[in-house]
Amino acid sequence: MVVLSNNDGCAVARSSEAKLAGVRMGEPWHLARQRSEVRAAKVEWLSSNYALYGDMSRRMYEVLAARVPRVEPYSIDEMFLDLDTPRDAALLAVELRAAVRRIAKIPTCVGIGPTKTIAKLANAVAKGDPTLEGVCDLRDETRRARLYEAMPIAEVWGVGGKTAEKLAAIGVSTVARFIALPSREARRMLTVVGLRVQAELQGVSCLPLSMSPPPRKALAVTRCFGRPVTCWAEMREAGSAHAVRAGEKLRAAGLVASRMAVFLHTDPHSGDAWYSAQHAGRIEATDDARALAAEAVRMLRPLWRDGYRYMKVGVMLDDLQDKAAEPLGMFVSQDLGRSTALMTAMDRVNARYGRGMVRPLAVGLTQPWRTRAGRLTQRYTTRVEEIMAATAM
Amino acid sequence: MGRKQEFEGDPIYDGSNTTGFVSPAGDALEGPVDLSALLDLRRPHRYPVRVLGEALVERGIYPGDVLIADTAAQPVHGHVAIIMLQGEVLVAQIAFRDGQWWMRPGQGRSDLVPLAGEETEIWAVVVALVRPRV
Repeated sequence: MVVLSNNDGCAVARSSEAKLAGVRMGEPWHLARQRSEVRAAKVEWLSSNYALYGDMSRRMYEVLAARVPRVEPYSIDEMFLDLDTPRDAALLAVELRAAVRRIAKIPTCVGIGPTKTIAKLANAVAKGDPTLEGVCDLRDETRRARLYEAMPIAEVWGVGGKTAEKLAAIGVSTVARFIALPSREARRMLTVVGLRVQAELQGVSCLPLSMSPPPRKALAVTRCFGRPVTCWAEMREAGSAHAVRAGEKLRAAGLVASRMAVFLHTDPHSGDAWYSAQHAGRIEATDDARALAAEAVRMLRPLWRDGYRYMKVGVMLDDLQDKAAEPLGMFVSQDLGRSTALMTAMDRVNARYGRGMVRPLAVGLTQPWRTRAGRLTQRYTTRVEEIMAATAM
Repeated sequence: MGRKQEFEGDPIYDGSNTTGFVSPAGDALEGPVDLSALLDLRRPHRYPVRVLGEALVERGIYPGDVLIADTAAQPVHGHVAIIMLQGEVLVAQIAFRDGQWWMRPGQGRSDLVPLAGEETEIWAVVVALVRPRV
């Protein structure tokens, strides 16, 4: 089984059977599915069901937050926990894992360490070795030292493939070798990040738990179309829709944007004629859906060329500032009070009745270009008409 | 797009903004009762489950009922539970006998089904029931 990304494009989650059949992480599914091993293994696919995953992530967080002093939700399926309690951390880890399994029904692994980087590494060890029963404790320095001897440096959080290649070129392929690297060298090759990784691997914490996400500097809304777009009316709708969604994200964070970038392109893998164009520029600082949609369309129009089969359009916002901190005089052509009142009302209605219930008409009514989700599982926990069914016996 | 939900009644009058006399209820508006609070649906261990079939009518559980299943609750002999039986989702009475859990099917059938083996577990215990239309 594989689960595909937005638009049923690439494999973003794989069962162990799919991994054995050779489906790679992030691989385009339309390519992978043609290989004989993948066909022979009868790998099934599903669309991403983010409504369900988001709710299950919430459940996992709440199970953990009720049992440890602090939880940092790092990604939809990874959380850093503060295990500093009177209880033994390893015993607590076993209980946490059992509670998440029983209550949220999610199998997990727990990695324990004095720093985030070691905890991540311990987690990877637990995941890779079923005999550990889901928990790996790397608090002990001698155990770490033994493990580091053979552990490839590429396994370490924050060390990307390119960095690992650079290090391999000078004979540094294991964690032990990387730690032995003089800090000047580490800094020269990997900047300050290298120094931080070195310190973290040695048990010196440089990355404290943070309970709230860092302030956003930029945000992007980009989507592939469900099928190629060949007319401007549809491109205009899609660009507007992305801008409107970007506006929702801005307002949720209490920000305004004063710079926008847009791009569009055709499909590089399909054999269609290639065309790609982008434009960026300043806009009047705003969080208003209408203004953002108008700016996006204004920027996209000159990029449009008839005769191409477009696959993707994106809208990016940056130069984000706190709306509260933004001087009022910056809003020149909008009536700020009316705009804020309208956007607040729209967001409230949409929070209550579902996203897109009220929207600018510019985003279109039927949206035939919309992203595909061909095999969506039920939204079991968030939609009353899709909840789990059980047969009475 | 969004959830299918209709505004019912007049969306403007909420009990306070009267035209003639100032409403004495103005400072006390509370909105409709929140059934998700009553049923504790925000809790991570609560899941809604819809009933298919009539086998539990004797227990007062009808097809179309929405059960609230609790995955943190301890199973109790004689209670109704959501059961995974070889990957199938069932709702039935459970029994503890001879040191293990069994499913006790209703409607006069007396054969106990052992809850052991592959993809078989007591998934959650039923703790509440919602019947949207009586």
